[in-house]
Amino acid sequence: MFENILTNERLLKNIQRILLYAAVIFIAIYALFPFYWAFATSFKTESEMFESATYLPRNPTLKNYEYVFRDSTFINSLRNSAIVSSSTAALALVVGSFAAYALGRLRFKGRVILLYVVLSMTMFPAISILSGLYTIVRELGFFGTPLSLIATYPVFILPFTVWVLTSFFRGLPAEIEQAAIVDGATPFQTFRLILLPLTAPALVTTGLLAFVLSWNEYLFALNFTATNPDAKTVPVAIAQFTGQVARQEPIAEIMAAAMIVTIPLVVLVLIFQNRIVEGLTAGAVKG
Amino acid sequence: MSLSSHTDPTAHQKAKRSPIPAYLVGGLLILIGIMAVVGFVISVSQDDGIQLALNWTASEEYPEQPSVLLAFLAQFGIVLPLLVAYLSIFFISIGAQVLGGSLRAAHWAQVAYMWLTIGMGITILLTIYNTIRVANEDGVAVDVGALLGSIVLPFLAMIIVGGVWWWLSNHIGMYFEGEDLLIARETRLAWNLLIPTLAIFILVAARPLEQTFIRSLTDKRFAGRGVPQFVGLDNYANLLTVRLDTVGCRLDDDTGDCSVRDNGSIRWESIDRELLQEGYRTISNIPVPFSAGQSIAVSGRDDDFVSAVNTTLIFTVFSVSLELLIGLFMAMVVNSNFRGRGIMRAVMLVPWAIPTVISARLWELILKDTSAGILNKVLLDLHIIGAPQAWLSEPSLQLPAGIIVDVWKTAPFMALLLLAGLQTIPSDLYEAAAVDGASPVRRFFSITLPLLRPALAIALVFRTLDALRVFDLFNVLFGRQQLSMATYNFETLVSNQQDGYASAISVIIFIFISIFAFIYVRMLKVETD
Repeated sequence: MFENILTNERLLKNIQRILLYAAVIFIAIYALFPFYWAFATSFKTESEMFESATYLPRNPTLKNYEYVFRDSTFINSLRNSAIVSSSTAALALVVGSFAAYALGRLRFKGRVILLYVVLSMTMFPAISILSGLYTIVRELGFFGTPLSLIATYPVFILPFTVWVLTSFFRGLPAEIEQAAIVDGATPFQTFRLILLPLTAPALVTTGLLAFVLSWNEYLFALNFTATNPDAKTVPVAIAQFTGQVARQEPIAEIMAAAMIVTIPLVVLVLIFQNRIVEGLTAGAVKG
Repeated sequence: MSLSSHTDPTAHQKAKRSPIPAYLVGGLLILIGIMAVVGFVISVSQDDGIQLALNWTASEEYPEQPSVLLAFLAQFGIVLPLLVAYLSIFFISIGAQVLGGSLRAAHWAQVAYMWLTIGMGITILLTIYNTIRVANEDGVAVDVGALLGSIVLPFLAMIIVGGVWWWLSNHIGMYFEGEDLLIARETRLAWNLLIPTLAIFILVAARPLEQTFIRSLTDKRFAGRGVPQFVGLDNYANLLTVRLDTVGCRLDDDTGDCSVRDNGSIRWESIDRELLQEGYRTISNIPVPFSAGQSIAVSGRDDDFVSAVNTTLIFTVFSVSLELLIGLFMAMVVNSNFRGRGIMRAVMLVPWAIPTVISARLWELILKDTSAGILNKVLLDLHIIGAPQAWLSEPSLQLPAGIIVDVWKTAPFMALLLLAGLQTIPSDLYEAAAVDGASPVRRFFSITLPLLRPALAIALVFRTLDALRVFDLFNVLFGRQQLSMATYNFETLVSNQQDGYASAISVIIFIFISIFAFIYVRMLKVETD
């Protein structure tokens, strides 16, 4: 009888394991299949697009990639996106870590109100400030240049950066600063020499997130670079992709372009996945 | 905490300190404060729009008198005048205290001078940039002489305020007295650190947002030259007027019963002709329970907007709840022990990392309406559907397709947020419960869910707010065929060029989202600290 219970339990354990792995495989297919589908499509010929779908390309070809790399608008858009995203991320990190240190570690009147101000900045939809920003971007003389995006992306990047970094700063033990103050360090020295190095991992995370968010932004890029094809960013270029010759929508080429811009991003995310998850959750879940 | 003062190494010099530097530093600050107000008044009086409104005579181009108030608000807004007023009062009062030799005020003056220097520097850079840009656009060489002429004054000003700042940072202890408490130093540092962020918020968030509120009361055209006029709350009235009328059904001539369409829906009578002429259009009919042949017709003046609100709400409810369920399931799976957990966490980030524009186009391909679409192909192969479905062109399937795409992208993301919450639950709780004989289901409802509540709450708030303002997905997938609130706003602004009307839509969305956020935060008692 004793033996019976043991085997029953083992059976239950095994069933649980099988169910678990089934679930894991399901999630993997769920997350990766559409991505695989884009990948496979990018190697298909144009005529294959209209036939019944096949899981593998029938005549794999690199032609789509060739066309895409010859498209100067697309190559320009890659460069623009790289410039815009890295500048925005750098700006957000510098300015955001300053503000986050003030909000997370310093005592002053108005701190709570300012925290609410930052939070409320994350609330309104970007479309509601589009026309006002359009005026400002024109006044600054940035319209139709990547500068227009570097100047406006902080609207949605900065609140998020400040929010995430504030919770990181708050998570550090209070003794660190007290020790520094006893040693005669000024608050800014404490920030620069002691706290900032400690938050280096958080900075990497936040910088990456800021980079990805700006890389993916569509609305502002669509409107502020409308007059200048050379200033388009990747999402706009892909949304408006026309291909080599004007004909039916060149889906296979679009997918090739999509792969070129997505694979670096995916690789980046895979390398830093631990950090990113930490950053996202620090921003959203506190304790 | 220690409240020790910043002891001054040069205390012995204080006895013979000269008051002249304090007079200079304080006086200059007072002067700057006054100049800010004077400069603002001058630029208001010289503004083109305000001049036009003041000196208006009826002409073909401007048949109606432009409003002076509106011209002022459109150019200067509310935040900027308030900021100028606040800063000049601050400068003058700090300047006055510096005159009296107050160390505390001198420290604040130092803050002011530093940011004035930086502000001047940015102004100069912008001037240089714009001069070069205009010259490039016109295809002429940059006029170096004129450029130097235009920056010489700001440059001198920068040198002066910069010099004062530099002098203050080195000599502050020698010429001013008073205690510099740690708390005061912390407060100053905090503001120094926050000023860049606040400046950016004022420039790119507060000012555009206030313009949206102002424009929503006008008939402004987008990027147009015409002078806008106040129209009061007309835009809002047009957007929000909804009326309910009872209408009967159309009778079938043969049977005398209600006439029915091929797909089984009842044909309802339209609302009164006069209402139609006033611009009312029926969005949907809700049958009255227990009285066959009667229905309530929901009609609005702007039926596109009302149906966009409707679409967005349906989209939000379905996508957020599906994401929550799928996300919770994924989080629980990834939280259990198995080989390759790390890889799974990485894999789950892939949909999130793909730009929405690209994932929309990717799903366009997957959802193609022939068997060339892989979803149709898979479903056909599995004999779930008999014929290929037109996911993106059949109106009744569009919204579900949009929800699928959104859920695909964000459910794994939600899972990662929840996973972090799950990992904070100590495992001995589960062990103890298992020893007590609690079933897995019981454990889920008594341990997991209550302890996961903070993580769930915040993930829900963030996702709901995101879903309510969905733009990219609808824009790329549906264009004008299915409108969300944000894409309707976009179409009104950019395609129809109705800036005033679009601004009113923005304000409504803004209020909508704020109410949701408020209710959520209240309901779930989220700690916002």
